Amino acid sequence: MNCEQARTQFVDYWRGTLEDTRAEFDAHLASCEHCRAEAEDLKDMWSALGALPDEDPSLRLRARFYDSLREWRRREAIHRPAFWWLRHPAFQTAAAMLILAAGIGTGYVLRGREISEVSHLRGEVDNMRQLVALSLLQQQGASDRLRGVSYAYRVEPDDSQVLSALLTTVDHDSNVDVRLAAVDALKKFTNNPVGRNGLARALAKQDSPLVQIAILDEIVEVHDKTARPAIQALVTSPDVNPEVKQHAQWALRQLQ
Amino acid sequence: MYEASDSSLMQAVREGDLGALAILFERHHRPLFNYFVHMNGNRDLSEDLVQDVFVRMLKYRQSYQPERAFTAWMYQIARNAQTDSIGKRKFEVALPDREFASANVMEENLKRKQEISILKRAMARLPVEKRELLVLSRFQNLKYDEIASILGCDVGAVKVRVYRAVRALGQIYFELSGPSAQGGTRTAG
Repeated sequence: MNCEQARTQFVDYWRGTLEDTRAEFDAHLASCEHCRAEAEDLKDMWSALGALPDEDPSLRLRARFYDSLREWRRREAIHRPAFWWLRHPAFQTAAAMLILAAGIGTGYVLRGREISEVSHLRGEVDNMRQLVALSLLQQQGASDRLRGVSYAYRVEPDDSQVLSALLTTVDHDSNVDVRLAAVDALKKFTNNPVGRNGLARALAKQDSPLVQIAILDEIVEVHDKTARPAIQALVTSPDVNPEVKQHAQWALRQLQ
Repeated sequence: MYEASDSSLMQAVREGDLGALAILFERHHRPLFNYFVHMNGNRDLSEDLVQDVFVRMLKYRQSYQPERAFTAWMYQIARNAQTDSIGKRKFEVALPDREFASANVMEENLKRKQEISILKRAMARLPVEKRELLVLSRFQNLKYDEIASILGCDVGAVKVRVYRAVRALGQIYFELSGPSAQGGTRTAG
């Protein structure tokens, strides 16, 4: 390997991805002081670049994105392919007559329509909150998933998709803080039988005493007696932390 | 649940599930924002451009080909957005020297801040093609084949160009660092 060939390998050397040519490359560096010096100096530059801190965008960016996504979805819902007869003159004349008649009646129903538009808008906002919550709950970073949990507070309590995502988070999330936050967020859904059953089922799947205690507290708070068998199982299980067992016994007494 | 690939999400967007774009946004908006900040040094403009990229993804979603890496497609759109919005001259505008403005701190922090500041200034002085190569390969950690796909060249050329960009950056960095720093380097020139 000569100097020119060695230089084509420098980036792999810095990235740690030299494989087949590693021995030849090392041999060249050992024999060529100039290449050795350059490879090491520029490696420092490469490392310094990697250590440059990232910048965070403002919160406005997220709000803008979700606004425009909502607008796109709304537009796509409106712009369905039109049927040919919509453009036919006879149809358009008839439609004009109908619109005139409808206009006369509009005054009577205007108030009702305003109410319906407001509720439609509210539905859209709820829908976007659901989307943000579900999207964030699927992220790799725990801080993103925590933000997703916080969005879950803002959806309607009958939102089964967010409820299901929260229960999955409680059951499977690798981060205890995220699981704890999800348990707290589930309070919003405890009027829903799926939410209550999910909490009781989650109890058996937890290995974190913190989360187990948080779930027990929540079950007691909503006084869900159907969770007694799950709590009983915790008391008799040999693997459960003694403090959790003690708390489970207390919970059983509260639910009598 | 956490493992849906970028490509499958974008395919879902293409097939009409626009909500899947929200997951892609949460995954990629921060790296994209940093790409733009490194390229133009302007936070507000960079936020506008991130927004523009995601709107273009919706607009041109039918052009997405699943066999191509999603990130390569995304950065291709990002490059177009950048070029369209500011044109060649402003594209090469120097990054603002924000670090020096707040340098009245402990000596070690000051030294580190100065190093960062010099590095950023050196980056800003690099020709835009070289700067972009470093941003894609070092900050965005894209694979060679992804960069090659974005730039429309082969992998071997990417490796050589990245080496030359680092070398050019090193020369500018040592010039900006002054004579004392240049004394320690063996590669200037």
